[in-house]
Amino acid sequence: MTISKSTLRGSNRIKENDKRRIVDETSRKRRHRKVMELLESDNYHDDPHADLVMSKKVPKFEDNLEQRTSRTKKKERTAEYYQIKYRKNFQQLVDEDRAEAEANRRVSYMDIQCEESPMPPRHFCAVCGFLAKYNCLSCGTRYCCIRCMDTHMDTRCLKWAA
Amino acid sequence: MDRSKVKRRGSSIGPNQPEPKLQKEININAVVVDNGAYSIKVGLSTEAHPTLVPNCIMKAKAERKRLFIGDQINECRDCSGLYFLLPCERGYITKWDVQKPIWDYIFSKKVCPIDEYPVVITQPLFNFNSIQDCMDEIFFEEYEVSSMFRLNPTDLAYLKYARDHNLPKTTPCIIIDTGFSFTHIIPYINGNKYLNAIRRLNVGGKLLTNHLKDIISYRQYNVMEETYVINQVKEDTCYVAQDVKKELTIAAKSGIENNIVRNYVLPDFNNIRRGYILENNSDTKENEENCQILRLNNERFVVPEILFHPSDIGMKSMGIAEAVVKSILCCPKQYQEDLSKNIVVIGGNCNFKGFKERMMAELRSLLPHLWDVKLYQPEDPITYSWDGGKSLLKMTDFKSCLVTKEEYEELGSMIIQQRFNSWMTDNSLVEEESQEKNQENYRYLDWLKGKTVFGKEDPIDVKDECEQEDSLLKAQTNSQDTGSHNLAENVDNVQQPAADLELKTKASLKNIENTIVKEFDQEKDQPSSNFSMQTELFPFGTGSYL
Repeated sequence: MTISKSTLRGSNRIKENDKRRIVDETSRKRRHRKVMELLESDNYHDDPHADLVMSKKVPKFEDNLEQRTSRTKKKERTAEYYQIKYRKNFQQLVDEDRAEAEANRRVSYMDIQCEESPMPPRHFCAVCGFLAKYNCLSCGTRYCCIRCMDTHMDTRCLKWAA
Repeated sequence: MDRSKVKRRGSSIGPNQPEPKLQKEININAVVVDNGAYSIKVGLSTEAHPTLVPNCIMKAKAERKRLFIGDQINECRDCSGLYFLLPCERGYITKWDVQKPIWDYIFSKKVCPIDEYPVVITQPLFNFNSIQDCMDEIFFEEYEVSSMFRLNPTDLAYLKYARDHNLPKTTPCIIIDTGFSFTHIIPYINGNKYLNAIRRLNVGGKLLTNHLKDIISYRQYNVMEETYVINQVKEDTCYVAQDVKKELTIAAKSGIENNIVRNYVLPDFNNIRRGYILENNSDTKENEENCQILRLNNERFVVPEILFHPSDIGMKSMGIAEAVVKSILCCPKQYQEDLSKNIVVIGGNCNFKGFKERMMAELRSLLPHLWDVKLYQPEDPITYSWDGGKSLLKMTDFKSCLVTKEEYEELGSMIIQQRFNSWMTDNSLVEEESQEKNQENYRYLDWLKGKTVFGKEDPIDVKDECEQEDSLLKAQTNSQDTGSHNLAENVDNVQQPAADLELKTKASLKNIENTIVKEFDQEKDQPSSNFSMQTELFPFGTGSYL
């Protein structure tokens, strides 16, 4: 009797609750890191000229000829020369600097980063941007109302849960 | 210490080349380059305003086979889906294959040729060695500049602020530079950066634009590829709210009550080259058919809000106002109150409407109520640093700061980098003042430690060293009693009891004395600093500690 009742009535959402995967802390952090990386990225899309074979040297030669006839006897170096000679990426630079700074006991790039605020964070709805009261059970994203929750479930909740 | 070294070297070169001294004393012109991660501000110091060139190479979808370097983008008809090649990563140049062509372009005849002028170029705080190496190589070897000087953009801002407001060099001042890649908060005490109180907030214009792009793409159109357009949207519509909660309740309303919502006409690069805000009363319907309209509501103020509360997007960092307060409180006590009277905000993010007011309100509420809080925001916060270049050139000792090509070739990158890096970072005085009380008991021990290292270089027995130490300790306690901190006197006091000892110790003491005198001579070059304290705290000179 009770079984048939529960199958007939009640919300589908609650029924399917068990199936939902709860994203654990580490993957939440990973997802957050990904979002932060995206915020620092230069482009979202790929190079539109990637498939083109650029003949870079031709226009450059002209430019240089124009500016430098008066200047120097020394050979012009290409931009690639510098890129190859100083090809360290940002992380390498930071690591190197840190080691050097520690050895010399000087303040460096890593030391001046702001600390965490003592104030509690505010929460905004990931969907509409207003203040949010609720957490998504699966992934912890904030939302403010049922409507936003549904949107969230249909879109980013699964999309980002990787 | 580095400075004094270099100065002496400069003077030794001096007699051989009398020409530069005969030139006009104060009127030096130079090419000033504020090498921002988003835009390069470049121009000859005689010009009233710099030329702004975007520091990037762009690729347009429509025009294949062409790269747009810097402001060449104005020649591009269709700026949709622009692909950016940015030379900087988090504010530091890492992609030289991008930066080099941009520099080539701006130093060509089209923008600002260097000719024989000295170059003053900015670099971010704590610029990495390898980046500086490359800059040296490019400027000295490739562009063959006659002389160059490198410094932080905030140094220039500080110089300009101090000059414009006729502040004496002792007035402490705090510069907030909120730019494209990050926000720096840098206190200047006695004309030097106070390193321990510097803070960096990893929020800049780039992050804000990307965030706006992200939320618009989620809520309305997919504009993920339209960084260029969305950056304009941000510049045109975003503002800093004075009270976020109040603003949010207004934004939640519908109809006329909501005075925040704006319709923004997106450019189509056909009829409309740049987007604009649609005025509420104008004929919306007619326009709507012809163009795409972006509806902006709470996005307008929630996005810049990240500057004040990075935790809004889950960033574990305090906001800009909190960081300023933190920075002030990290400074020695006697300067704190003066710092809060001289707060300067520069950088592109200051252009958000309401930024200054909000900043002021937050600082006022966070700092002690008895302190006077004064916030200065220049009319053009973007070019303020560049303008500071003019103040730099007017400094009397500027010429000695410049590194010439010959010096580069003679001394190499390492030494001139030290010279650049140590400029305006000498905090020995301030540190001394703040640490004096704590270190009273240990100071002489430190001093002795340093000396034994010197002693080991000389052929002295360990036994002798111990005796020496004892005698020295005695001597120091004597001098401590008399309360004299003068080094010269210290040396005298050392000598008197030493004279009673064996000849051997006397000889070894002479050695030590010599080293002290050497240091003393070096310190002489900085007449303003209290040298006696420096040598005691920093037996190897202050340079190695900074």
